[in-house]
Amino acid sequence: MGAIGGTLIRAARRFLSSLPALFGVLVFTFLLMRVLPGDPAVFFASGPNAGKEEIEMIRKQLGLDKPLPDQLAIYLYDVGRGNLGRSMMTGQPVAKDLRERLPASLELTLTALLIALLSAVPLGVLAALRPGSLVDHGVRLFCSLGVCVPTFVSGLLLIYVFYYLLGLAPDPTGRVDVFTTQPTAHTGFLLIDFVLAGDLDGWWAAARQLMLPALTMALFVIAPLARITRASMLVSLGSDFVRTARSVGLSRWRIVVTYALRNAVLPVITIAGIVFSTMLGANVLVEKVFSWPGVASYALDALLVSDYAPVQGFVLLMASVFVVVNLVIDILYGIADPRATVA
Amino acid sequence: MRLFIFRYVIAAVVAACVISAPAAHAQSRAETLRYVTGASVNTLDPNMPGTTREAFALSMGTYDRLVSFGRKQLNGKWVFDLDTITGELAESYSVSSDGLKLTFKLRPDAKFHDGSPVTAEDVKWSLDRCVTAPVLGKAQLLTGSMTSADQFKVIDPLTFEVTLPKPDKLALPNLATVYAMIYNSRLAKAHVTEADPWGINWLKENEAGSGAYIVESFRPGEQVIAKRNEAWTRGTPDKPAFFKRLIIQTVPEPATRANLIERGDADLVIDLQASDVQALEAKGKLKVISTPQYNAVTFISMNNRIAPFDNINVRRAIAFALPYDDMFKAALFGRGAPMFGAIWADGKPPSGGYPIPQPVKLDLDKARAYLKEAGMPDGFATTFSFNVGQASSAEPMAALVKESLEKIGIKVDIQKLPDAQMSTAINEKKLPFFTEGIVAWLPSTDYFYRNFYTGNQRWNYSSTDNAEIERIAQAARFEADKAKYEEEGRELNAIHFDQMFQIPLWQPAQDAVMAASLDGYVYQFTRQVDYRNLSRK
Repeated sequence: MGAIGGTLIRAARRFLSSLPALFGVLVFTFLLMRVLPGDPAVFFASGPNAGKEEIEMIRKQLGLDKPLPDQLAIYLYDVGRGNLGRSMMTGQPVAKDLRERLPASLELTLTALLIALLSAVPLGVLAALRPGSLVDHGVRLFCSLGVCVPTFVSGLLLIYVFYYLLGLAPDPTGRVDVFTTQPTAHTGFLLIDFVLAGDLDGWWAAARQLMLPALTMALFVIAPLARITRASMLVSLGSDFVRTARSVGLSRWRIVVTYALRNAVLPVITIAGIVFSTMLGANVLVEKVFSWPGVASYALDALLVSDYAPVQGFVLLMASVFVVVNLVIDILYGIADPRATVA
Repeated sequence: MRLFIFRYVIAAVVAACVISAPAAHAQSRAETLRYVTGASVNTLDPNMPGTTREAFALSMGTYDRLVSFGRKQLNGKWVFDLDTITGELAESYSVSSDGLKLTFKLRPDAKFHDGSPVTAEDVKWSLDRCVTAPVLGKAQLLTGSMTSADQFKVIDPLTFEVTLPKPDKLALPNLATVYAMIYNSRLAKAHVTEADPWGINWLKENEAGSGAYIVESFRPGEQVIAKRNEAWTRGTPDKPAFFKRLIIQTVPEPATRANLIERGDADLVIDLQASDVQALEAKGKLKVISTPQYNAVTFISMNNRIAPFDNINVRRAIAFALPYDDMFKAALFGRGAPMFGAIWADGKPPSGGYPIPQPVKLDLDKARAYLKEAGMPDGFATTFSFNVGQASSAEPMAALVKESLEKIGIKVDIQKLPDAQMSTAINEKKLPFFTEGIVAWLPSTDYFYRNFYTGNQRWNYSSTDNAEIERIAQAARFEADKAKYEEEGRELNAIHFDQMFQIPLWQPAQDAVMAASLDGYVYQFTRQVDYRNLSRK
C-alpha cells in the first residue's frame, strides 16, 4: 500500500511540475508559427479569383488582423475553454480533428510497439545469452537493417510485396476497407470498437489493415529496444545474484526470466517510453505511405500550408502525451523495481 | 486439450471472415466509383474561403446550377465547352435582344434532397448569398457583372430574371461555375444565426442541394461517400447518374495511388506522377486520357519591377536562353501542350486566343546579344523559386534553367519554398524570378489579360503595369463583334510577346488514369472530375 501511495504522490508531483512546461510550449509554438514566413490568409485565398478582398476576409476570419498580444490572449482564453481553434485545411475544429485522429495514431503506435517489444526482448535476451555467437551477430545484422532502411522505403517495399505482388494484404488506404462500414465510435480504437459492436468481419478487416503499417514502424524501433535489452541482460547475467541462483541449481528458465530479465527490464521500459512518444509524432512517413488518418500527417499538412491552429494543437497534444507517458513510466518503475519509490 | 479448442475457434473465425467478406463486396463494386486523390475535400460548401479543388468537384455532383457547360472535342479528347451553355435547373433560358436581361424557366420537376421543390426563391437566395455574403462567389460573379442582390428578381415560382448593367459575355457562363450553385434556402434559413445570416458554418458541414449525389458520410481529409439521387434526371441523357455509390478517398502517397489503380482497387485517379502515368500507359491495361489543360498555363515569371528584370532586354535574353525541349521532357515527360517553338509567319500572332505558342526557342547567341543590349554582357546573379508542392516537375526544370543560364553568365540560385511561403512571397511581390501556373475557369482572352496582367495583386505574377494592355482588355470584355474581339486578342498577344512580361512554357496535361471499363470522362473547367459524366461499360 505504502509503495503504491508513494508512487502516486510522486506521479502527481511530477504532473504538477510539468504544467509550466506545457504552458511554455503553448506560448512558444504560438509565437513560432507567427514568426515563420508564410501567410495562411494568402495561401487559402487561392481560388481562381481571390484578390485582396478575399485575403483580408480570411485574415479577419482567422483573427490575424488583430495585434499579436491580443491574438495570444484570445488563443490562451480559447485553449483554457478547450477550444483549439478551427483548421482551415479540413474546415473542422482542431479539437475534433485531433480527437478523431489521435486514436488512429495511438492504435498504430501501440500495435507497432507491441510487435517491437515482443520481438525485440526475446531477440535481445537470446543475443545476451550467447554473446559473440552466430545468433548475436544475426540479431545485430537484423537490427542494423531495420534502422538503416527509412520507414517509407520499408513501407513501400512491404506494400509492393504483400499488396501488389502477392495480393495478401488489403489495399493500403487507411484504417479499414472503404467498403466496410465503420462501427460506432466508443473509444476510437477500431479493434476495440468492432469487438464492442460484435462485428468480427469488421475486426478482421481492421486488423489486416493495421498489419503492414504496424510492421513497418516496428521494424524501425526493434533495434534500440533489442540493443538495450541485450546490454542490460549482459550486466544482469554477470551479476552476483544470478551466479548465486545458478549455484543453488535453479532452473535455467527461472534464472533468466525471473531473476535476470526482471532486473534488466528497467532501462527497456525507459527506452520504450521514449520510443513510443517519438513514434507517435515521427511516424508521419508511415502515415503518409499507408494513408493512415493519424495526427502526425495532419500536422505536417497543416505546417506546409501555414495553418496555425492545427500545428499549435498538435504540439500541445504531443507535449501532453509526453507528460502522460512519463507518468506511466514512473508508475511502471515502481512496479518493476520497488526500490524506485525511495529515489 | 484447451489449446486444441482455442486453435479450432481461431480457424473458424478466420475462415468465416475470408469466406463472407468478398461476396458482399462484389455486388456493389461494379456500381461504385472509387476515386482516389492526393488532395482532400474540406467542405461541402465550395463557397467557403479556403475550399480545395476536390471540394469543387464534389459540389458539382451534390448541387445543381441554373445552367451548365456542354462538351466539345479537342484533338480527340472531350473537354468542357464555354460556348455551349445548356440548362441544368433551368428548363430553358433566354437572353434579351439588348443583352441586359437573362430569363430562366425552372424545371417544374426539380426537387431538393429533402423532397421540397426547387423554386425561384431558392435561386434568388443562393445568388444573393453569392454576391452579399463573405464567400468566394463574390469575386467570381463580379467577372460576369453581377455584383448586387438587386440584379436578381423572382418573376413567379418557376421564373427567374437576372439584370445586367452592360451586356456581358461572361454573365451566363458565370452562372455555370461552381459558386453559382442553388441551395435549399428553406433548409439553410432554418440553420442561420444572427452572427451568420447566410448559414456559412452550417452549410460547410451539411449539404442542402438538389444534385445527382447525396452525401452519406463526410470525413475531411479522409473520404467522402455519396449515394445516387434517384430522382435526379438533369444529366444529358435525362436519367440519373450511372454510379450508385461514389467514394472519394484521400491517398497521399502517389506510388500507392498508382498501385491501387493498377490492381483495379480504384477506378479513377487524376493526380499521378508523370513517370507513373508513363509506366501505366506503357503496360496498356488501363485507360489513360491525357488532356492538355487548355484553361491553364505554366510560366517562368519575372517581376518586371525588380532589377534586372525591369529591363526588357534581360527578359528577352532569358526567353531565348531556356532549354525548352529538355525542360518539357524533364518536367512533364512531354505530357502537355508546348507553348514554345512556334513560327509566327510575319512576326505577328496567328490568333487572338490565349495562351498561344510563342516564337521562342533556345538560341544562346541571340540571348547573349540581348544581354549585351541590356548593358549586362557579363550577366548577373539572381534566385529562381518554386514551391514544394510542384517539386516533382519544377525541380528538374529549375536545374536545367540554372545550367542553361550559366552559359550566358547568369548565376541562378535555386530556392525551394513551402507552398504557403511561396504564395505569400508572390503576393508581396518579393520574388524576382520563379515558376508558377495560372488557371481560369472561363478561359477567354480578355479574362486572362484582365486578371493576370493588371493591378497590384497576387495573380499578376509579372507585376505588369501596361496601359495598352489594360485599355484593350477592358474594351474586349464588352466587345460583341467576334471579328473585332479576335483582332483585339491579337493585339494583346503581340504586346505580350514584344514586352515579354513572362514566358509561357506549356499547358500541362491532365492525366486521367482509369479502369478500362470506365467511360465518359470529360476534362472540366475545375480541372477535376465531374462524377456525373462517368459510367461503366
